[in-house]
Amino acid sequence: MGSLVKMKNITKKFPGVTALDNISFDIEPGEVHVLLGENGAGKSTLMKILSGVYRPTSGKITVNEKEYDYLTPKDSYENGISIIYQELSVINELSIMENIFVGKIPVKTIMGIRVIDYPTMRQKASEALLKVGLIRDMNVFVENISISEKQQLEIAKALVSNAEIIVMDEPTTSLTISETEHLFKIIKQLKSEGKGIVYISHKMKEIKEIGDRVTVLKDGTYVGTRKVDEVEIDELVTMMVGRTIHGTYHNKNISDFKNEPVILEVKNISKKDGKVKNVSFKTHKGEILGFAGLVGSGRTELMDTIFGSGPKSYGEVFLNGRKLDIKNPYNSIKYGLAMVTENRRETGFMDNFDIKQNISVISNLKKSKAGGTIGLLDDKGEVEKAQIQVKDLRVKCTSIHQNITELSGGNQQKVILGKWMGVGTEFIIFDEPTKGIDVGSKSEIYELMRRLAEDGKGVIVVSSELPELLSVCDTICVFKDGKIIDTFDIKNVTEEKIVSASTGESGKVKEVN
Amino acid sequence: MESESKKLRRGSLKEVSFREMWQKYGTVGILAVLVIALAILKPASIFSATSISQILTQSSVNILLAVGEFFAILIAGIDLSVGSIAALTGMLTAKLMVGGVPPLTAIFLGILIGAALGFVNGFLVNKTGLHPFIITLGTQAIYRGITLITSGARSVFGFPISFTKGISSSIFGVPVPVIIAISVAVILTFFTKKTVAGRNIYAIGGNKDAAWYSGINVKLHTMMVFIISGICAGIAGIVLIGRVGAAEPGAATGFETYAIAAAIIGGTSFFGGKGKVFGVVIGGLIIGIINYGMTALTVPSSYQQIVMGGLIILSVTLDRFIATKK
Ligand SMILES: Nc1ncnc2c1ncn2[C@@H]1O[C@H](COP(=O)(O)OP(=O)(O)OP(=O)(O)O)[C@@H](O)[C@H]1O
Ligand SMILES: [Mg+2]
Repeated sequence: MGSLVKMKNITKKFPGVTALDNISFDIEPGEVHVLLGENGAGKSTLMKILSGVYRPTSGKITVNEKEYDYLTPKDSYENGISIIYQELSVINELSIMENIFVGKIPVKTIMGIRVIDYPTMRQKASEALLKVGLIRDMNVFVENISISEKQQLEIAKALVSNAEIIVMDEPTTSLTISETEHLFKIIKQLKSEGKGIVYISHKMKEIKEIGDRVTVLKDGTYVGTRKVDEVEIDELVTMMVGRTIHGTYHNKNISDFKNEPVILEVKNISKKDGKVKNVSFKTHKGEILGFAGLVGSGRTELMDTIFGSGPKSYGEVFLNGRKLDIKNPYNSIKYGLAMVTENRRETGFMDNFDIKQNISVISNLKKSKAGGTIGLLDDKGEVEKAQIQVKDLRVKCTSIHQNITELSGGNQQKVILGKWMGVGTEFIIFDEPTKGIDVGSKSEIYELMRRLAEDGKGVIVVSSELPELLSVCDTICVFKDGKIIDTFDIKNVTEEKIVSASTGESGKVKEVN
Repeated sequence: MESESKKLRRGSLKEVSFREMWQKYGTVGILAVLVIALAILKPASIFSATSISQILTQSSVNILLAVGEFFAILIAGIDLSVGSIAALTGMLTAKLMVGGVPPLTAIFLGILIGAALGFVNGFLVNKTGLHPFIITLGTQAIYRGITLITSGARSVFGFPISFTKGISSSIFGVPVPVIIAISVAVILTFFTKKTVAGRNIYAIGGNKDAAWYSGINVKLHTMMVFIISGICAGIAGIVLIGRVGAAEPGAATGFETYAIAAAIIGGTSFFGGKGKVFGVVIGGLIIGIINYGMTALTVPSSYQQIVMGGLIILSVTLDRFIATKK
């Protein structure tokens, strides 16, 4: 059986870094080939060479029996290669349907004139959307849909072109369990149709569930390829990081925080549009509070309301006993609040800034006056601070003056975490904090959260990854329809309990797992 | 996505460093080429102290307008009203002086008027949420209308000697308009490089939503941008009446085009977030030298317009071409 694609001896150099060093990779029909590696290992770069975004410095690509030195985006498309990029590339200003057909609008000829074929467009779009389970009016503008819906839309986009090879670069970072299950069903269907799939993910469990073969990269070099059936996760992790990691991070908190002072208290918060209904909760010193819930349950809206980034709302927020008057994020940052947002490309970083400038945004604001208008920059301080964060969080970069868009996805995420560290934060909300972060760094970030909590800072974690909540939180609130419907102590909670609480149907639990 | 993927597509080390060279020194290079070309075509026109100071003086009003315009473009907006602000400020300052207000007080009030007109732009942009293009297209007409009404569509002249003398004099051989333009450019360079507010404006230009989530007050800074643009235009208007010796109701008509051109030729990204005050100054000088050179070569002014328009398109295309070079 011949491969659908063969990439041979691919090398890719960027200024100051060799992203890929002599990598060979192939995709066979009917298989899911998992690509694994730490943040910055070169996974996305290899796939961008396949989709024509980058040209390799050297190497050959063979598709459909033709050998290429490099592919253009057009070559790639015409050879049936379709890619779901790690950074969502949907366009907010277009409708769902228009997004599906960006760059490949179907046309028909009426009396010799080529016109857009709307009926075909609608039909194909609704098929693809149904397949991925995105039940929405196709004419809705994408800026109005949630990030997980955007991710589903990306998948639909890839399906509609009937590609032979589909690359999925971390497609499930914003998806919850049931949506991920849905995706896996699609993948199995595609496999049975003989299509080849490249699957990139830092969620190790998914590899066993969906993968057939797995190739591991490390620092741009090839480590090895294994059959998924014949390899243990631990061995893969060792291949990835070059050392053994014993187990995953486990919650080590034993202190009885219930008697500790309250750090943040939220009283009767509501939003006008009803997405948040009369929510109250408290966090104690030393406690990490988690929020679970399905997509669209209102968790992000609740956090936006607390942080002041959402529209005006009702209710009260107290920090260390003091009532806060928050009208916008500036107020809350001045009070010592912080929020790592769930969508790094849209609300996380400035793409015209380098690492240092992105990291110093908050500290600059904190030391300035009059709404951030009066204050001088401290170049030396900025450099020092950036260097500390880059070192602490092990950001892989050539220097702190590198533009943030040149970093790998996971490393961008680390920079965003870094901008909130060491700026006198009293209370921090992490909304999907480890999105795209590799296994090794994940446990380091969990330890960082624990240290923050032990230092007396308030910590909230919102996550669609239940293992994450279970390993880092002390208390887990389940959010549904704008309300906290259940609160669990870590000692007596399981994934099943959370799932059944968040769907509200205990019968569904089995099906989901 | 298409343009982004093109942008991402990078070649070897050598090409990248060429691109970096272009981004750093491209505009200065164009200026140098123009100077050399003029020197070859008409040596007498450029190798003299008077001609150099003439080029600089002629460029100073445009540079003043352009460095203000720069900020509006930096937040991915635009200010089409700068020419009208210059005219209205100039007219009101002239009226004050003719009415007996001492020149220094009148200048101070003039600058405040420029700031106030910028404030109105910023206020309308923030309140309506409309693109600055729409708002300033409107205020461009409104401010011009007010200029015509307050002047009765007639020129105002007869300024105190101290004012006209002051503007047309030189300090250590450098004409006062040039000193004013340089001072404003230096202050704004400091502002962009060393202050938190300056950095915040770049942040807004790069990613407005991320800036908001990072605590940056987008409306406050948008307001600041239009006030800066208004002040610069106001100063330009005052320099202009000093140089001409009269305030004309139709003064500075169409000057926003040159200001925008200077900013863009000077490397400011139309999508926001990228550019430098220094580059804009060079952009202003490039326009100045083209105008001067063509006059020296006795090219009719209508042809000068065509050359200017062509240059704008060319410089941006060239920039794009080099940025996306495979
Ligand atoms: N446009 C670019 N310019 C310079 N360096 C780049 C560019 N794109 C990627 N790199 C570098 O290439 C290396 C590999 O990056 P890549 O995005 O392929 O990593 P990745 O394996 O996908 O990581 P992650 O798991 O974090 O997504 C990194 O060191 C990154 O900084
Ligand atoms: Mg990646």
